[in-house]
Amino acid sequence: MPSIFNLIWSKEIREGLYTWKGLVWLVIASILFSFTSYLLLTNKELSLLDQAELLWLLSKIILVVALLIVTIDASMVIATEFEKETAESLFLAPLSIRDFILGKFLASFTLWLALFIVAVPYMLATSAGSHLAPAFLGYVLLLGSLGVIGFIFFIFALSLLYRSSKSTLTTSLMLLLAFTAPALFSSTLKTATVATTISKINPIDNIFSSLDNVLVDFQTTLSQNWQFLFPLIVFCLVTFVFLSFSISVFRRQGIIRNE
Amino acid sequence: MKYLCATVIVLSVSAGVFLPHATNAGSTPPLELTILSSRTLSGTAGEYVTVEGQVKNTGQVTLNDITTYLSLVDQENKLPVDLEDWSAEKGLHFDTIAPGQSLSLIWKIHFIKAGSYSLIIVATAAGSEVPQVSPITHFQVAIKHNLNPGNILPVAFGTPFGVAFLLSLLGYKRRKEVEA
Amino acid sequence: MIEAIIADRLTKHYGATMAVDTLQLHVRQGEFFGFLGPNGAGKTTTIRMLTGVVNPDEGNILINNFSIKDKSNIARTIGVLPESRGFYDWLTGAEYLDFFARLYGITERDSVAVLLERVGLTAQRKKKISAYSRGMRQRLGLARALINKPSILFLDEPTLGLDPRGQQDVQNLLRSLNQDGMTIFYSSHLLNEVSELCSRIAILDKGKIVAEGTLNELRQQADRQAGTLTDIFLTLTHA
Repeated sequence: MPSIFNLIWSKEIREGLYTWKGLVWLVIASILFSFTSYLLLTNKELSLLDQAELLWLLSKIILVVALLIVTIDASMVIATEFEKETAESLFLAPLSIRDFILGKFLASFTLWLALFIVAVPYMLATSAGSHLAPAFLGYVLLLGSLGVIGFIFFIFALSLLYRSSKSTLTTSLMLLLAFTAPALFSSTLKTATVATTISKINPIDNIFSSLDNVLVDFQTTLSQNWQFLFPLIVFCLVTFVFLSFSISVFRRQGIIRNE
Repeated sequence: MKYLCATVIVLSVSAGVFLPHATNAGSTPPLELTILSSRTLSGTAGEYVTVEGQVKNTGQVTLNDITTYLSLVDQENKLPVDLEDWSAEKGLHFDTIAPGQSLSLIWKIHFIKAGSYSLIIVATAAGSEVPQVSPITHFQVAIKHNLNPGNILPVAFGTPFGVAFLLSLLGYKRRKEVEA
Repeated sequence: MIEAIIADRLTKHYGATMAVDTLQLHVRQGEFFGFLGPNGAGKTTTIRMLTGVVNPDEGNILINNFSIKDKSNIARTIGVLPESRGFYDWLTGAEYLDFFARLYGITERDSVAVLLERVGLTAQRKKKISAYSRGMRQRLGLARALINKPSILFLDEPTLGLDPRGQQDVQNLLRSLNQDGMTIFYSSHLLNEVSELCSRIAILDKGKIVAEGTLNELRQQADRQAGTLTDIFLTLTHA
C-alpha cells in the first residue's frame, strides 16, 4: 500500500499534468530559456561576453524564473484546499498534517526538478566546448534546490496561517522581490555595513555569489563555496522552524477556523 | 648699430637652440602620423583587428612626453564612438622621440557594432598646445550573420516544442480516459 | 448498550458568540439519531467537533470509545458527509472515490464500483466531477462517506439538492445501512424526513439541546398531546 504522502504527491502531479497547470509553466519557462540563451549566445559570437559570464547570466535567469514559478505554484497548492472546501473531506480521512505537508512539498519540489530538466538542454548547449558543464549543472541543481526548499517551507507556513492563496501569493512574491532586488546590485554598491550584512544572509545573493564563484572564478568544490552554502542551509532551517510553528497553530485552530 | 644687430641675431639663434618649447608653443608638434594598416582594417562585427601605425619626429629637436591615441567616428550616425568596449589600450605614451626617429604604434580593437567608420591617430607632445593628427582612414564593419549561434536553434525550438507536444499527448490521453 | 457517541459539556465560542453551550449528547450504537435546529443553532459546529474538524474549547468527546484526540482511529471508524461540498473537479467520480479509498487503505478492486452502484452514479463514473449536477455531487459525497464502511455515519443535510426520487433512494440506502448495524447521526432541516427515519431526535437551539428523545417523548417535552415534528420543533425553538 502506498504511503499516504505518496497519494497526496501523486494526486498533485496528476493535477499538474491533467489540468495543464504544471505543463504550461514548463512551456513558458522553456520559451524564456530559449530566448535568453539565444540572446546570450549571439552576444558571445560578437565576443561581448565570454563563456563563463554567459553561463553565469543564464544560470541566474534559470534560477529566478524557477523560483518565481515555484512561488506561484506553492502559494496555491495548500491554500486552495481551504478555498475550494476540499480540506475538510481530506482531513476527515486518516491523513495527518505531516503527510499532507510532505505530499504537497514533494509536489512543489517536483515542479522545480521538472523546470531544471527543461533547462538542462540549454545548459548543455551553452556550456559546450568548456569544462564548466558538470559544475554548471551541479551547482544550478544544488543552489536551486536549497533556495526552492527554503521558499516552499516559508510559503507553506504562510498558507497554513492565511488559508488564502491571494494573501499567500502576495506575501511570497514580496519576499522574493525583497531578496532578488538587492542581489542585482553590483558588489561596489554593497560595501556599507548594512548592505554587506544583508548580502550575507540573503539567500538569492548567496546563490548568485556562489555561481559567480564557480563559473567565473572556477572555485568548484563544495568547501570553496561553503561560505555561500551555509547561509542557504540556515535559511532552509529557519523557514522550517516557521513551518513547524504554523503547523502547531493549525493544529490548535483546527481544520475549520471560523464560521 | 651693427654690433647691436649682431647681438640680436646671436640671441635669437641661441633661443632657438636652447629653448625649443618656446619655438613650438601655439603650433602642432613636428610629428608625422601614419596608419599603416588602413587597407586591411575592414571586417565583421565581433572580430578583433590590429591597427598598426607609425609616429615619426620630422623636426630638428627631440620631443618629450608624447601621447598617441585613436579617435573613431561613426559615419552613419555622425557621432564619435566611445572606445571603452572597442579597445583595451586607450593611449600609447613615449617619453621622448629623437629627430628623425620613427616609433611603431599598435592597437588591438574589437569590432563591437556594424557600420561605417573613420579613424585617425592623434598625437600630443610637451610644449605644443595643438595636437597632430594622421590622415583619415575609412573602414567598414559588416554585420555578423549567424542565425544559429552556438548551435542553439535546435534546443531553442526543440525544447518548447517537445514540452508542448508532451502536453498535447497528455491532453489526448486524458480525453480518452474521461467521458464528455 | 455501548454508546457510539458521547459528548460531555461540549462548548465552542467564536469571539463573543457562544456557538455550542455545554452540550451533552449520547448516541447509542446502531441508533438512527436525528439532530435538528434552526439556522445558527450550532448543528454544523457540533458535527464538526464530533468529527474532529473543529477543536472544542471545553468538553470531552468519545467516538466508539476513542478520544477525539485519537484522530487516526476515529477517522477509520466514521464516515462524514460534511456541510462543505468541495470536490476535485478535474477528477472523474470513480477517480475521486479511488483516491479516498487509497487514503483509507482500501484495496478491494471493486469497492469503488459497488459504492457507485449503491448511490446510483455508475453511469457517470467516467465523467469529470465538474460536469456533475448538485444532486450527483451529493451522491458522490455520500459514497465517499461510505468508502471505509464506517460504523458511524455523520450526515449534514444529505438529501439537499436531490429530486424526490433521489431523496427516496438515499433514505432507502440509509435505512438499509442502519438495519445492518451502522449508527447514523443525521442533521437536516427536512423535519418530515427526520421523523420518518430517526428513532431518536435531539433539538438544538442557541447552542443548547432543548429536547431529546423519541417523537412521543418530544411531544411530552413540548407539552403537546399530538402534532407533527414541525409543531414540536416550532414550539421548542420559539422559531
